[in-house]
Amino acid sequence: MFQLDLKSRKSIYEQIVDNMKELIIAGMLRAEDKIPSVRELSKTLTVNPNTIQKAYRELEYQGYIYTVPGLGTFVASPAGLPVDEKRISLVKEQLRENIRELLYLGCSLDRIKTIIAELLEERSDWNDKGK
Amino acid sequence: MIKVNSLEKSFDGFKALSDLNLNVKKGSIYGLVGTNGAGKTTLIKHVMGILKPDRGEILVEGIPVFENIPIKERMGYIPDDLYFFSTYNLKESAKFYRSVYPNWNQDRYHHMVKQFELNEKRKLSKFSKGMQKQAAFILTMSCMPDYLVLDEPIDGLDPIIRKLVWKYIVEDVAEREMTVLVSSHNLRELEGICDSIGILSKGKMMIERDLDELKSDIHKIQVAFKNPAADPYQGLNVLHRETRGTVDLLIIRNRKDTVEDVINANHPVIFDMLPLSLEEIFIYELGGGDHEIESIIF
Repeated sequence: MFQLDLKSRKSIYEQIVDNMKELIIAGMLRAEDKIPSVRELSKTLTVNPNTIQKAYRELEYQGYIYTVPGLGTFVASPAGLPVDEKRISLVKEQLRENIRELLYLGCSLDRIKTIIAELLEERSDWNDKGK
Repeated sequence: MIKVNSLEKSFDGFKALSDLNLNVKKGSIYGLVGTNGAGKTTLIKHVMGILKPDRGEILVEGIPVFENIPIKERMGYIPDDLYFFSTYNLKESAKFYRSVYPNWNQDRYHHMVKQFELNEKRKLSKFSKGMQKQAAFILTMSCMPDYLVLDEPIDGLDPIIRKLVWKYIVEDVAEREMTVLVSSHNLRELEGICDSIGILSKGKMMIERDLDELKSDIHKIQVAFKNPAADPYQGLNVLHRETRGTVDLLIIRNRKDTVEDVINANHPVIFDMLPLSLEEIFIYELGGGDHEIESIIF
């Protein structure tokens, strides 16, 4: 499903959380899809099940997945995702950095606007997904 | 659950362990690290009920482990210095283990022998060091232990076998909630597998914590100020500080937001924060952060 980078400074726990989110946001995992159990994923990735358990708990807390006892763990529908203002401001900060870098590279403001518009265009179908 | 309370042990007047506590939760993979001579192997031998403590207690599931056969039948141990009966081959050793450990799983034994491609008929004393480690691993894992204690399990093993060994361990933790206590100097490998870490130093437990918590509490930062205040790091627990030109490199033991608050208050021009690897935590916590030692290690 995804690869872990053991050399990364990011902890395995964070990597699992981020990878899962990416799969969900990119639409590779859709709402109501069943995701591997802690035991299965632990075996396929050779990762401590306690680490996976913790990652799943975090994903559940953030609203990306939900667990039905006895049935398994499923992807939550995106409409149910709570908006995390703190993370949004973090991402905004990253965008500010990126824009500054583009300016350093010699882009004009108009060109940056075009770039952002292009990127937004790629995601234009997102609204139809129910959010 | 393995619990060690204020353990003390001396050998001929040399205090090997003093006031040592250890807590290993059920189903956890616990990494024990420490410098040479810190007492890892001595501690492990106490946990296995091989050595008798001078003071303190060692409890497995709440019961003292020393000479406790019902508990020891459910514990598997791979020591650093392996021991086999000199004339035995793997098959004969398996027969012996089967007679001692009631949970012996013959199917798993056969499966593992095939997977590790070991010759059952060859004398174990004729095996290479790495093959002997593999043989010990097969024998121990075939006992289906509820507690697995490994002293330097992976040195001498090639990367393919190493992966296989971890796969077996993780699988048993996932399937049967096996509890694992493992000591090693290969910190990168431990970092990838453990959920809890105990750092031993001079016979004492220095730090014992959840690995992710430990890592979220210590940071490496790079920072530069345009107009540095007299002490821009006031209130922070600075473990190590190094200046390269106008840039300061620091190791700080504080929560992430605390560090950010203090540093940002002084308006830095450069401010990078990185989590530390277990190897770096080990080096800085055990006082090896100064230049001399660092230049030998790296």
